[in-house]
Amino acid sequence: MTPPLYIALRFLFHRKRAFVLSLCGVVFGVAIFICTQAQTQGFAKRFINSTLGSNGALVLRAQFRPREDNLLVPATSSNAKAARRRYFEGITNASEIMRISRRFSNVVACAPVLRGTLSARAGFETATIDLFGIDAALHLRTTDIGQQIITGNFDDFRNNPSSVIVGSRLAESLGIGAGDAVQLLSSGGEYWRFTVAAIARSGVGSVDSSRVYCHGTIAQKLLRKPYPASMIIYKLREPDRAPGLAKDFERLFQHDSQSWQEREEANLQLFLTLRMSIAITVSLIILLAGFGIFNVLTMTVLSKVKEIAILRSMGYRRRDISSIFLWQGAMIAGAGSVIGCILGALLTWGASHIPLRVRGLLFADYFPIAWDWHHYLWAILLATVAVAIASYAPARRAAEFPPVATLRGSSV
Amino acid sequence: MSNEICLRCEEIERYLGEDESRVHALRGVSLTLEAGTIHAVVGPSGCGKSTLLYILGLLDQPDGGWVTIESELVSHLPDDVLAHKRNELLGFIFQFHFLMEDFTAQENVMIPMRRLGRLSEQGMRERAAELLEAVDLGTKLSRPSRHLSGGEQQRVAVARALANDPRVILADEPTGNLDTKNSQRAFELLQEMVTRGEKALLLVTHNPSIAEACDWIHEMRDGRIVESHRRNGWR
Repeated sequence: MTPPLYIALRFLFHRKRAFVLSLCGVVFGVAIFICTQAQTQGFAKRFINSTLGSNGALVLRAQFRPREDNLLVPATSSNAKAARRRYFEGITNASEIMRISRRFSNVVACAPVLRGTLSARAGFETATIDLFGIDAALHLRTTDIGQQIITGNFDDFRNNPSSVIVGSRLAESLGIGAGDAVQLLSSGGEYWRFTVAAIARSGVGSVDSSRVYCHGTIAQKLLRKPYPASMIIYKLREPDRAPGLAKDFERLFQHDSQSWQEREEANLQLFLTLRMSIAITVSLIILLAGFGIFNVLTMTVLSKVKEIAILRSMGYRRRDISSIFLWQGAMIAGAGSVIGCILGALLTWGASHIPLRVRGLLFADYFPIAWDWHHYLWAILLATVAVAIASYAPARRAAEFPPVATLRGSSV
Repeated sequence: MSNEICLRCEEIERYLGEDESRVHALRGVSLTLEAGTIHAVVGPSGCGKSTLLYILGLLDQPDGGWVTIESELVSHLPDDVLAHKRNELLGFIFQFHFLMEDFTAQENVMIPMRRLGRLSEQGMRERAAELLEAVDLGTKLSRPSRHLSGGEQQRVAVARALANDPRVILADEPTGNLDTKNSQRAFELLQEMVTRGEKALLLVTHNPSIAEACDWIHEMRDGRIVESHRRNGWR
């Protein structure tokens, strides 16, 4: 143990109350930072997982061709890309595109979907629905539909072409359950009767409140579309790399491709803003703890002027003196970070068990939390920086004290 | 007594304060401390005794003149080197003993040894115990210094000054805060350490009986050594 560290330990434990107060500031700052980050990221992750599980990480849609009218002034808005293209509804060669795209290493599975908007009726209740005409086997491999079933059976849907899977909140509003009948109004104006094979809950409010899955061939007839698919959805090995793959697909297939990051940009921005806002608030707590430490260390320096002079007279260098106070800060930061991380983990665990009925943007019965070591790393980093800044000035001041002034006393 | 010079200063000048309050505290002070000798510096308050002590102790820089320790010019060395010299070659004793209150007697004596870093933890403990034994505090090693009497605290300070076996001991009125009995005892202890260890001792004192017992008495007035005399005659 170096002499400054030894002396720092002695000084620190001599002023127990001040030490405990400083420590509490860091502990609570770190713990609250970890807990709030776990919660906000938990919500974001739940949303991302839910949306990936329902809508895929990447979606390939309408075919496009570049506009050839060169007299047009190039658009500079965010829709510049759209302005330079001419889109053609539907995907006519879905099987070929899927066959080629499966060769990409990042693609786990893909499935065609024929999407359209219809009206549904059950009893006296009607609702506008988002119809997904799917290939049951491919869709099961590409999405989490199998895990999303809360009542009924996916096999019942697979084996019965005149059956549908209904989103949980839509089923609630229509007052239907598995085994009930529901009528869908076709584009031709007549009602088609379906059996509800299952109710699915994706966790994403917009999906659960409007979506109905039916077989692709039936959807084509219902919607009276000449093409079998309006989009292809992809499950990716590394969803974070979806934007790059979307660009590759656009170039390769000449079809509009959209990554989940682009699709959910607004929601992701919301989560990020929320997370940043909370992080800034909690960082202020840690900063306040830093001010507390600054005060405590400054008081310690002032109360140890005599000891500093003694140490200097005994051959301790200026940097030894400043090290004594920097070590005190480091010990507060170290102990505060360790205890804070433990407390933060406990608080996070506790928060994950708090009953919470969320039925809006996403579905949750408890606080969704994310266990991520980055939160701990950031909390420790913040605490260390705050304490280092808080310790620096008192440590420097201690090193600059002229020992003679203290030792001289009253004599000249 | 050998003629080996432990510490020497020549023509030391020192100004204190600034502008109108500037004081010429030392005016060409020269002094030579040989091994095994005890020097007393006497004089009225404000004559520059302590200022001289701090310059010789490398705690303060002179405005003119130079200081050598064991023939090495030290007065203008960098601060870190001076600190090392203080740690290795000098021992300080102050009037108000200046112990670390939260530390035990033994831990106080170990503080200079820790900085020097030549001994193991066990080695430092043993040496501190030996030194405290020598000043009759062998039974109070683990006692916090604030629980010791004034005389005991000053003896701990003596032991601490000797911790790194310095060549020169500088004492600023080491008995000024003690009663007659304790003063005499502390001085005898220092005398013994100096003669036994071939060290030089320079002490600032107002106590005539202690000054008379030193090998040399230097009388200071207005920043100058106006008279220096040996115990057995004038110089």
